[in-house]
Amino acid sequence: MNPAPTIGVIALSGELDIGRRAEMQEALRLPAAHGAMLIDLSAVVYADSSILAELLRFRAEADRRQVRLALLITSRQLSRLVEYAGLSEAFAIFDARGAALSYLGETPA
Amino acid sequence: MNRQSMRSFALTGVVLVLIIPTVIAGGLLERRYVARAFAAAEDLRIARTTAFSALRFQLDEETGIRGYAATHDRVFLQPYTEALAAMGPTLEQISDQVTKLHTGGGPLVSDAAATNATWLRTVARPLLDPRTANLNAVERRGKTLVDHFRLDIAQLDDLSRRRQTEVDVEAQSAIDRIVLLMLGTAIVIVLIAAAAGFQQSRLAARLEDQRLRAEADERSNLQLRAAYQTEKRIADTLQGAFVQRPLPSHTTLRFSATYVPASEESKVGGDWYDAVELPEQRVLFSLGDVEGHGIEAAVTMNRTRQALISAALIELDPAAVLARVNDELLTDEARMVTAVVGYADATSYEFVYATAGHPPPVLLEPGRAARLLVCGGLPLGITPDAVYTVRRVQSVPGALLVLYTDGAVEHSRDVLDGESVLLAAIAAAAAEQPVADLAAKIHEGIFAGRPVGDDVAILTIGFGIGDLGRRSGGAVAKRVA
Repeated sequence: MNPAPTIGVIALSGELDIGRRAEMQEALRLPAAHGAMLIDLSAVVYADSSILAELLRFRAEADRRQVRLALLITSRQLSRLVEYAGLSEAFAIFDARGAALSYLGETPA
Repeated sequence: MNRQSMRSFALTGVVLVLIIPTVIAGGLLERRYVARAFAAAEDLRIARTTAFSALRFQLDEETGIRGYAATHDRVFLQPYTEALAAMGPTLEQISDQVTKLHTGGGPLVSDAAATNATWLRTVARPLLDPRTANLNAVERRGKTLVDHFRLDIAQLDDLSRRRQTEVDVEAQSAIDRIVLLMLGTAIVIVLIAAAAGFQQSRLAARLEDQRLRAEADERSNLQLRAAYQTEKRIADTLQGAFVQRPLPSHTTLRFSATYVPASEESKVGGDWYDAVELPEQRVLFSLGDVEGHGIEAAVTMNRTRQALISAALIELDPAAVLARVNDELLTDEARMVTAVVGYADATSYEFVYATAGHPPPVLLEPGRAARLLVCGGLPLGITPDAVYTVRRVQSVPGALLVLYTDGAVEHSRDVLDGESVLLAAIAAAAAEQPVADLAAKIHEGIFAGRPVGDDVAILTIGFGIGDLGRRSGGAVAKRVA
């Protein structure tokens, strides 16, 4: 049985629009050491479609390196945006941190 | 004039203000020294001349007296008498001059005067007296006294000569000092001028530099602006050409569309809409948005539209169309694209569509509130394993399907609020009679004259109510996953 993977966390906050694209790209880089990553978007108050592209690119990279991902989204607004983009088909999305971490912890790396 | 040159200007001013009076005062002082030295030299020359006069008078006295003593000819007494008369005032004159000119001269003059007096009393008078015996002794004494007198005058002249040398040296050094002062002043002024010139040239160089830089900035601004305007023109042309494809005129289907670019000049979007008639009463519609702005976005938009139409000619299923377009876009580093694509079936009043990362279409049916349809599916051009789902909506005559890009709901930074505004705008626009330019009215309803931060494309597809009787009871929308 494999040991539980180390879970890395990337947290984004505030208003994520096209103006912060470079910042998002900088933040959404896959660290080498983790077998699972939580992207914490609970402190995001607004996001436009820029974030969708960045999240999907991050997912593609995570897939290549077989890193499991979970998204933590608590705002209804962001949930709506994510729903538009069909992200629920590409990410495990949670509205509670505990649930997200236990999902990542239980998932074989 | 800037601060630095102001400062150096002030410094130069202060230096000049200090130097000029010093030089003038020093010059005047030295001029007085020189003038005094010249006056002293003149006095000394006169004093020496006078002293020699005394010697001459003394010689005349002696020569006259000795001539008379030898010959008893009274002719010899004339120079003696004249010299005797002149000797007194001359010695007084010498006395006045030498006491003014140098210490040590006074006693010599007194001694000379006393010696002369002694000579008159003990030599001249006895020699004039015919009764005087032992003339040789008198003449010997006379010679001694005359020698004494001459020595006094010689010593006096020696003093005067030495004093003259001193005065000459004083005058010379005063002149030297004046020359040095002038030279120093000249050097300082030259240095100040050089410094000022240097400062000036540096300032000028800096101004020139600034001017050149400003020119360069201006040029590069112009170039950038020109380049930007060129890009914008190209992108506008591309987009205009794409967007302005005429909408089909159809017996049953009604179309309207609008495209409003962002108010900001810098944004040229990748939004598009299309409606193309296909065989068997079907009309393909598509609307989408390429991530980003500019020529690249416009080019990706063009590729996507062509791919959509090509795929729609082969595939009947909009989900399959999207999958093909996704594959096409993944062949190179394309941008992310969101789209909705589908058919309106004029015989069955059915909308068949699929979405890829795109906001949901809105359906407005007679007698019902406008509502958001189902959406989903990842954006195009991101991942090969994206799965798209076809959605079928059985609708009714008079129904209106509204497609839009995210600019129509993201303007307020709150998608949920944006959706409410959109639904209200659609209902309001559709309620107007007659219904014309529906898409433009919806846009107006959303933005109400406010600036538009992002491009917005809106496409409406309506079923006419001409054959309402054929399907009167079918006002039920089905969502098929």
